[in-house]
Amino acid sequence: MALVETQDLVKKYELGGETVRAVDGVSLSIERGEYVAIMGASGSGKSTFMNMIGCLDIPTSGIVRIDGIATSDRDSDALAELRNQKIGFVFQQFNLLARTTALDNVAVPLIYAGLGTEARRDKAKAKLEEMGLGDRLDHSPAKLSGGQQQRVAIARALVTDPVILLADEPTGALDSKTSEDIMQIFESLNEQGITIIVVTHEAEIAGHAKRRIEFRDGKVIEDVVVNNRQKVSS
Amino acid sequence: MIGNIRQQASGWLVNVAIAMTALRTNLMRSILTTLGVMIGVFAVTLAVAVGSGAQVSVMQSINALGSNMALIFPQPDTGEGGRRSFDRGRLTMRDARAIQKQISGIDDIAPQLRSNIQLIVAGRNASTNAVGTTPGYGKVSNLVAENGRFISEADVRSAARVVVLGPTVARKLFGDFDPVGETIRINRAPFTVIGITESKGSSFGNDNDDIALMPISTMRQRFSGDSLAGPDDLQLLFVGFQDGISLPDAKREMTKLLRERYRVRGKDINPFTIRTTEEFMKESAQVTGIFQIVLVAIASISLLVGGIGIMNIMLVSVTERTREIGLRMALGAKRSDIRNQFLVEAAVLCVIGGAMGLILAIAGGTALTVYADFPVPIGVGVGVGAIIFSAFIGLLFGGYPAVRASRLSPIEALRTE
Repeated sequence: MALVETQDLVKKYELGGETVRAVDGVSLSIERGEYVAIMGASGSGKSTFMNMIGCLDIPTSGIVRIDGIATSDRDSDALAELRNQKIGFVFQQFNLLARTTALDNVAVPLIYAGLGTEARRDKAKAKLEEMGLGDRLDHSPAKLSGGQQQRVAIARALVTDPVILLADEPTGALDSKTSEDIMQIFESLNEQGITIIVVTHEAEIAGHAKRRIEFRDGKVIEDVVVNNRQKVSS
Repeated sequence: MIGNIRQQASGWLVNVAIAMTALRTNLMRSILTTLGVMIGVFAVTLAVAVGSGAQVSVMQSINALGSNMALIFPQPDTGEGGRRSFDRGRLTMRDARAIQKQISGIDDIAPQLRSNIQLIVAGRNASTNAVGTTPGYGKVSNLVAENGRFISEADVRSAARVVVLGPTVARKLFGDFDPVGETIRINRAPFTVIGITESKGSSFGNDNDDIALMPISTMRQRFSGDSLAGPDDLQLLFVGFQDGISLPDAKREMTKLLRERYRVRGKDINPFTIRTTEEFMKESAQVTGIFQIVLVAIASISLLVGGIGIMNIMLVSVTERTREIGLRMALGAKRSDIRNQFLVEAAVLCVIGGAMGLILAIAGGTALTVYADFPVPIGVGVGVGAIIFSAFIGLLFGGYPAVRASRLSPIEALRTE
C-alpha cells in the first residue's frame, strides 16, 4: 500500500470570475521511504498539491489517501490528528513562534498530541539534541541563525515521529552553505526511513531526491526516478 | 482515566501559559483592555455591596426598634378601602391597657407621646425629640440605661420631672461630664437627669442617640396637652411580644380587639393602624431589593462596555495571529484547541481585570464604611462571585472571536502575511 496516494486530484479556484484549475487531475502514489522532489515554476500547482496531501487544503474533487486513510471522509478534528501523528511540516519561513524558546517551539505538536509537561519537554529536548541544538534549548528564534531556526523547525516536524516529512521550499530563506546542511539532514532522515517530500523550484535541492515530479499548469509533466544522486557543485 | 484528566488539566495550563505570553507581548494593550473590565467589575461589585449595605442598614434600624414588635398608630388605616366612620385616628391609654390585659404573649408595652423640646443647662442648649413613655419602653425597644436608671412606675404615677438622655444629647449639654443627678431646664421647667441610655448608633444618617425620655404623664402635662384631642390619647404604642409569638396572629387579635372597642363594623376603616416589625422588614427588603437591582443594572452597563472592549481586542488578536493559528493547525491543533486557546486568553484578561476591580471595590467599600458611615459588606461570596463572573464575561465576549479563530482554514491562515 502506498503511503501517499492521489486519484484524479483536482483543486479549482474562482479568481476574478475565472476558474483556475490549480491542480488538474493528478494521480500518483508515493511509497514509504521515498525521497521525492516536487518541482515546477511558481503557479504550477506544486504547492497546492502539497497542501492537499498535507491535509491543510481540501480538494475540489479526487481522492487523497495517507497511509491508507482517505482524507475526504474525515472531519476537521480527524484531519488535525492525522497532521499531528503522521505528517511533519517544514516551511520556507520556518514559522517558529516568536518569543518562545526552541524547546517550547518543538513541544507545540506534543501539546496537541495530549502529552503531559514532562513528556513534552523530554521528547522535544531529545529531538533538538538530534538536530545538534542541545545547547540552544532556551534560545528564542530571534537569537538563532537561519540554519538553526530551520533545524528547530525540523525538530518540531519530527517530534511526533511522523511517517512523512513535507517541506515547502525549506531552503528558500537560507544561503547555499546552510541549505547544504539542511539537505544533509534530510538525506540522513531519509536513510532512517522517513518519507520526504520536498517542494522546490531549485534544481540543486531537487538533486538530492531519489524521485523527481515536475508540475506544469496543474498537471504532472514528468515523474522520474533518479538512480544516482547528483552532487551539488557549488 | 486519571492520566486523561491530568492531560486535560495540563492542556488548560498550556493555554494559560500561551495566553500569558500573548498578553505580555502586547502589554500596554492588555492593560488598557483589562481596565475596562476592572471598572465594570468595580462598579457592579460596589453596587451589589451598596445594595446589601442598604439592606443591612435598614434591618439594623428595624432591629434597633426592637425585634418582635407591633406599632400601633392612631391613624385611620385606609389600606384596604371602605367606609370611613371616624374623622380622625383613635388610640388611648385605655386601649393600651386592654391590649396588655387581653392579648397573649405580650412581653411589655410602651405607650408614647412625642414632642420636640429645648434643653438648657449652664448656657448650653440642645433641641431634641422627646419621648414620653412608661418603664416598658426600655424592655420593648431593647434600651437600657447605661448610667443611672430608667423611668420607673413611680415616676409615671407622680408625673415626676425626670429625664433620661440619649448619649448625643448628654454630650451636647455636658461634654464628658457625667450628668446623672444634674438639673436641666426643659422649656423653662427644671428636670433632674436620672440616666443616660446606651448608644444605639445611627441608621441612615439618623442618630438614634439624639433622644430624651421622660414619664408619659409628665409629657402629657407639660408639652403635648394641646395637640391631643382627649386627655387619654396616645400618639404611638409599642407592643413587644415574647420570642416565638406569631406576629401576624397577634396583629389579627389586636385588630379584632380594637375594632370591638371602637365598634368598627364590616368593611369600615379602622381608626388605628397596626404595623409589625416583620412587615417593616419585608417591605424594606423589597424596597432595598429593587434599589439593588437598579444599581446593579446601571453598573452592568460599564461591565458590558468592558466586555465589548474584550471582544474588540480579541478580534484584533485573532487577526494579528492568523498565521500562528494556521501553524498550530498544521502542527495538529484541533478547532477546539484553537477556540480554547483564545477563550482562555479572554478569560485570563477578564479575571485579571476582575481581580483588580474587586480590590478597588473593597477599597471603595471600606472608604464608604469608614467615611460615610454606611456599611458596604463585600463578603467572600461577592468576591468569588465577581471573579467567576469576570471569567464568564471573558468566555461570553471572547466566544465570538475564539470561534472565528477556530473556523479558519489552515492553509489560508498559514498563507496570511
